[in-house]
Formats: sequence, structure tokens, C-alpha cells
Amino acid sequence: MCLSIPFRKTLFSVAIFGGTLAGTLGCPSDAWARVKLITLPVRERVEIQLDNAGATLVEEERVVPLVKGENQVDFSWANTQIDPNTIVFRVVAPVGEKAIDAKVLSVSYPPNEAALIWSVGSSDSGSVRVRVSYLLGNLNKSFNYRAVASKDEKQLTLSQYMRLQNFANESFGSTGVWAGFGKRFLKPVGLNETKEMLMEKYENVPIRKTYTCNPAEFDYLDRAQNKLRVPMHYVLKNNKENHLGLAPLQYGKVRIFIDGGAEGSSAFLGEDWGKFTPMDDEMKLYLGVAQDIVVKRTIDKNENRRVGGNVFDQEIVLKYEIENFKDTPVTLDIVENLRFIRNEVRGDTGRDVEWELGKDTTFEGGPDKEKSTFEQVVFHVTLPPRAEDGKADKKEHKLNVILKNEW
Amino acid sequence: MSNTSSLPLFRTAWKRSTHVLRFALLLGIITLAISSQRTSRAENVDLSTVPSRSTVQLTIYNSEDVTLVRETRNVTFKKGSNPLQFSWANTLIDSTSVELNFLTQSDKLEVLDTTFPHAKPQMLYWNVESEFDGEAEIQIAYFTSGITWSADYLCIADNNEQEMSLEGFVRVFNNSGEEYENAQVRLVVGTINLVEKIAQLANMSLSEVAGMDRDELSKAKKDVLADAMAAPMAMAGGMGGGAIAEDAPKEIIKEGLSEYFIYTIEGTETIQNGWSKRMRSLEGTSISFDVEYRYRPQEYGEQLVKLYLLKNDVASKLGTTPLPNGTVRIFRDNGRDGLSYLTQQDIKYIPIGDRIELNLGSDPEVLHELVKLRTYRSDLILQIHGTNEFRKIGGDGTFKEENASLVGWDDHVILVERIRNFSGKAIQLEIRRTLPGHVVFKSSLNPKLHDFQTIELRATVPTGMKSELLSEIIHKQGTSTKQNNVTLEKFEVKR
Repeated sequence: MCLSIPFRKTLFSVAIFGGTLAGTLGCPSDAWARVKLITLPVRERVEIQLDNAGATLVEEERVVPLVKGENQVDFSWANTQIDPNTIVFRVVAPVGEKAIDAKVLSVSYPPNEAALIWSVGSSDSGSVRVRVSYLLGNLNKSFNYRAVASKDEKQLTLSQYMRLQNFANESFGSTGVWAGFGKRFLKPVGLNETKEMLMEKYENVPIRKTYTCNPAEFDYLDRAQNKLRVPMHYVLKNNKENHLGLAPLQYGKVRIFIDGGAEGSSAFLGEDWGKFTPMDDEMKLYLGVAQDIVVKRTIDKNENRRVGGNVFDQEIVLKYEIENFKDTPVTLDIVENLRFIRNEVRGDTGRDVEWELGKDTTFEGGPDKEKSTFEQVVFHVTLPPRAEDGKADKKEHKLNVILKNEW
Repeated sequence: MSNTSSLPLFRTAWKRSTHVLRFALLLGIITLAISSQRTSRAENVDLSTVPSRSTVQLTIYNSEDVTLVRETRNVTFKKGSNPLQFSWANTLIDSTSVELNFLTQSDKLEVLDTTFPHAKPQMLYWNVESEFDGEAEIQIAYFTSGITWSADYLCIADNNEQEMSLEGFVRVFNNSGEEYENAQVRLVVGTINLVEKIAQLANMSLSEVAGMDRDELSKAKKDVLADAMAAPMAMAGGMGGGAIAEDAPKEIIKEGLSEYFIYTIEGTETIQNGWSKRMRSLEGTSISFDVEYRYRPQEYGEQLVKLYLLKNDVASKLGTTPLPNGTVRIFRDNGRDGLSYLTQQDIKYIPIGDRIELNLGSDPEVLHELVKLRTYRSDLILQIHGTNEFRKIGGDGTFKEENASLVGWDDHVILVERIRNFSGKAIQLEIRRTLPGHVVFKSSLNPKLHDFQTIELRATVPTGMKSELLSEIIHKQGTSTKQNNVTLEKFEVKR
């Protein structure tokens, strides 16, 4: 006997009186045609767990009436991407005071149908609360940010949003949504609906505004005039001292605004993709090329010294002429990749670079030890603002490098 | 859907039966087609009896698509010649594997010959000579494909990651084209050797099979049969399943046999054609496990991965059975009255007592960086051109002869493994790094050799801390290379 069921995307039903679910499963055989009545337990609670980077786990709780002995509990779905292998059925607790021991005896999978049937053994008649968990496709999350910098660009307010896109072809009523960190939301998630939720608002986050020249990474702005491209970044450190550090910052688009001071006077500065930033790491947001800081880079010296046989040391002096046309002092980061330098003067040998700084290096304080590696050296240069008459003070620095034992 | 197991006892066979698997005792005026030329005998059948199955047992292998079916039937014989017909239309039975045995009256019954009619490939006739009038129990055994089984596991770790529950399941798939109602089901864990796929044999005519290497074929099948037959056939109590409580899961009895392990599902099962059924094969709760972080690029790629480590032994509340290969799905209690899905992974067969390693992938709360701090070269050796003379640069006086080339040197790399732990508890860390060539590895961290070219470091990283593990690797290059191994040196490496 087949019983008509109102159409739903996912269907959870219990065949009672020891029968089975022929109706919903298309009466696979005569043996399945003994259903007298089907109950349709509704969702009492739904949780969408978004803490896994690549999968969405849905947990739904229903109250299921069971009779003493064996019960058939059917779960079917249509046009949704439920991974049937991930479906977990757990009995949470009996409803009421009667102790009921209920357990899944077996699971049957009918052919060519998005359905399964749990055979559940129950020690007594009564209702139990069960939880069904499964991975569901096309129910995805992404993150985006809105950053509003203060007018002096010393700090910003960072708002983190989670966007939930429900193309799973299933709607959920009041549903708990949790990203694995931060707040849990309780919201309905409709069919084909996109929902954006404010995860966290971080106030007074200090900004480190950086100007960087790095010919290996950012190239020249004007190669003929030896002018380096100088991109500008906001750098945020994801730790408690910097009013962040609650959780890793997820990958997402960051729209950056600057507060103009007066009401409604904020301006859009630009946007960038914020990379996944673990705790204690830095999120670097690119805002554009700084036009008011001019850095000219030339190779002043290139000299070989034989060490023995075909082995040479090579002494190189790079000269930087730096002008700051801004009316504020800035710190410029000069980054040089030693392999890139060797490629400029010798070509690539494929070997790691052995190098040391020569005595003609003029950067005060030496390289930044935290950011420098075996083939990259980082210096910080403080530049004064332009003079009252608009003239910039041209600073000259030299980097003296000896590439050792090259052949 | 067919209902072969409820075949009528007597049946008039005017036409070819629509039943999938059919066994018939032919009566009446029958001209038995002994020779292959007489292929028109099926049309001469007037009447046949169709003895129903008494019992059926399935022994399903998971390493190959092969299932041994043994069914018993009660057949009444008359004195003299008794033609028996056995047919298996639209199934995946291997015709070369069908065997008839007499469980009772075996001394009075004998198969004189077996005929495979040319026109009906999925049919055979046995010509049984009986010395008596009466009933005997016969057993028909054969291989079929299309019935398979697989294992899978469900792990749920507690929120503190100290204990977990582990459930093992077996899932039986029936795509054989036949329904075996109330069958005793046995699942074989282990790898068997077959020289031909049963599915192929099932779809071949007998003349094609005849062209194959009969010795190999027969040996392979006999080996399988012998092993499977050796297991006790617990069918004497009937196939009704006995008194199994309706609300209790069926027990799965596990026993070792030769190189295999056999799971016997309590009672009987009916798995309809096209369906599959999953049953719990083991259940462990409060299983303690360890969490370890490993960096092994050759095994896990260039990332630090988190693992759950447990043992298939009694101390871990497991150890009653080897774990057949299958997919493990791992969840963790998220501490908010729900689950977190962590990952799924395929595990290989795990013997009793062996370790279970569940790789959860990288952990965003534990960061690992490998940073090269400095590289330099030393002990540069030159060979003077056209001679066998070698000079070390900076050795016995400065040598600046132009007419020489570098032939040997040491490459030095100062490395730091930087680990930051935000997981909220101390972690155990293991780093394994393979260093091919002639290498000297210097570290103050008490390094060990995993093998001749792989170093192993272990450390505990407290929570909230950044640990920096410094080491120096010296690669001997060119003529300086004298070995192909790693030498360890305990040494305080400076940045």
C-alpha cells in the first residue's frame, strides 16, 4: 500500500505498526507493501556547522515515535546534495520520563533512490529525540570585511561578515549557524537565499601603514629612469595587543574606507583580498601605488674578485635615491632579494646565495632580523616630510653586498 | 522483482521459466541430451518438479568481486537415471564453478555426467544415477559476482580530544540479479587470488571458458572453495535466524581462518537485488587516543598535520578483530551540543594490536614554518686543470691559480622550524625530514635517525608559545661526497 506524502525536499518518516515505507520508496516489492501508517516527525532543531573549510554539516533534531521492537525510520531527499555516506543517526534522549533504549539495528539503501531506511530497535514504546547529521553540498560560506580607517590612518574598525549562500535546494526554519568561531546565529535560511551576518566588529585596531619597494616582487614603475614601484599597504597584526586575535582571520575581500571626519564623509580607499591570517600573523592589505614617494635604484658597483680557480666573490653596491613628497614623515621598507640581485649581475646559477653585507652599507640599524631570511634582506628607512616650500629632501642610501663563492 | 526463493514445489514447464535461478528435476519422457549435437531436448520437456531451497549461505569476499553460494535442497530420486536441470538466467553466476554434492545418501547417488547445452548458455544438466527410490539432501555450490561488501567506520572524539567512540560497519551490496532470501551471510576479510574475474566468467559461454588455462582456473577456484568450505557451516539450526531479540542489533561473530578473518552475521538476512544493507560490526566507547602533530613531507605533503593515534588492542577497548580496509569518518563533539565534521580517510587493513592513525590534515591553530636563515659554503676544493692535483681554498695558503675548477665543497644551511601553538594545550610534535646525499645534521634537539637518510626530531610545544627549533644541514658536494647517508651531530646551532 502506498500512502501519498506531501512533497518536501527531504523527508523523514517513521512507519509504525512494524510496517515499512513502501509509499515513499515506490513499493520496491510486495514485502514492502505492509505500511499501515506513516508519521512525519518535524524538525525540532537544526544546526548548520560551518567550521570545516570544505564541507557543511547539517544537524537536525526530531522527535520520533517508536514502538517496542523493530521500527523502520525512513530518510529521503530529492534534488539536494546530501552525501548519504555521511549520514549519522544518533538517539539523543527519550522524550518523557520513560527510559527507552533505542538503537539502530541496520540501514538499508534502496536502489536508484536518494533514500535510506534505518531499522531501529526500541526497548519500549515511546518517543525519542534523535539527531541526524549529514554533509550537504551547495550550502556555502564566505567571509568579507569592511574596514573604516581613522582620518589619521593610525587605526581602523574592522567588521567581519559571514555570507551564507543556500543553493542546497532545501530551506531551513529557525536554524543555528556557527562558523566554528565567534557568534552562533539563530536565523531562518530560505531557499536560494544569501544571508550576511556580522561575525565580529573589531574597534581601534592599530594600522601599520607601510611603503615598500621590492624590485623582485613589485618591479620598477619606470625602468628607464630606474624608478621603483612603491605600493602602500595597511598591515594589521592578528593578536590581542592589536585588538584582534580572537580567531584566525578567514580569507575574504576587504573593502577599505577612510573616515573623513564629518558625518557621512567617509571615502572608499580601495579593496583587496585578505589572505587567511592565523593568530599572530599579519594581514597585509594593498591600497595602491604611492606616487609621492620616489625611489631610484641603480647598481653603482659590480666587481669580481677571484677566490681561487673559477670561484669568485662578487661585490655589488646598490644606490637608492629617495624623496618623500608627502607632508608627513613615512617609513619606507626596502626589500632586496639576493637571488634577484645575482640574476641581474651574473644570471641564475640555481644555487642558494651566500652573501654578506659590505662596509659601505648605509642603512641605520642594519637589517630587520625578523623579516630577513637567507636570501632576502629588509631595511627600514625613515623619511622626513617635504619642506614648507614643497621641496623634498633627497636621501641617499647604499646597500653593499658581497656574493660569495660563486662560479 | 523476482521471488525465486518461493518457487513452487511442482511446476509444469511448458515454456521457459521466467525465474532467474531455477532448479528442476525433469520427469516424464525426456531424451537426455548427452551429446552436444542434440540441443533440441529442452523443447521436449513436458513436466518438471522444482524443489525449493532449504537453506542458502553466502560467503562474500571484499578483496575480489566473488561470492561463494551454497544452497541445499531436498530432492526425491527414483532408482536409475535422474536428469536434473539447473539454470541461472540473468544472473552473474560463473558456470564453470557450479558443483553438485550429495549431503545424504551419497553412497547411493552418483553424477554420471554434466551437460552444458549449446543453445542455453546459462543452464546445465546433471545426469544422476540413483541406487534407491527416495529423498536426499543435495548441496549446490557456485561462485557469483555482484554481491560485495565493504567496511566503514564512524569516530566521534570528545571535545577535549582524549577519548572517542568508534563504530565499525559492514555494508553488503546485492547487484547479482538474484535474491537470496533468508541467507546466512559470511564476510571474508583478506585478500584472495583469482586468475579470472568471476564477472567475466559469468558472461562467457562455456566454449570460451574451455579455451582458458584450465589448470590455473581450476586451482584458483578450488583454493577459494577449500578455504571457504573449511569454515563451519552453521546452518544446521535452520535459516530462520533463531531467537534474536527484535530490538537488539544482530551480533557479528568474528573468527580467524587461515590468512582470513570471517564475519558471520547472526541469523539470516534478505538483501533484495539492487539493495544494500549496513550493519554494525563493532562498537567501542571511551577509547583513549593520543594527538600528535607530524611534519613528514613524503607522507603528508608539505604541511604539519594533526593525527589521532589509537591502537586496535584490548587496552583501547578494541582488539577483538582486525579492521578491514574502509572509510573512516571522523567527527568531534564541538562542545556546543553538536558535532564538527573533521575529515574522512581510507584506512588499510589493521591487524589486531596494530596502530590506527587518523590524519586530520592541517590545524589552523598550530602553525609551522620552515625558514632558511643562512646559507654558506665551506671547504672548497679545486682541481688544477690537466692534473690530479687538488687544492683546498683557504687551506694551505691562498690559492689563486686561474687554471683550476671547483670540484668539491660543503653547502651549509641554517634552518629554523618555527612552531606557534594556539590550540589551548601543549602539543606533541614530530618532524621527519629526508635528506638525500652525504649529509651532516647538527642540532641540540637530540635528533634521531629514522633511516639512513631521514632525521627525526621530537618536541613538546606549550600552548601560546612560539618554539624555534634550530638546526644546520651540511651537504657534501662534488668530490667531497663520500657517502650517501646522514651523520648526526649534537651541536648548539646559532642564528
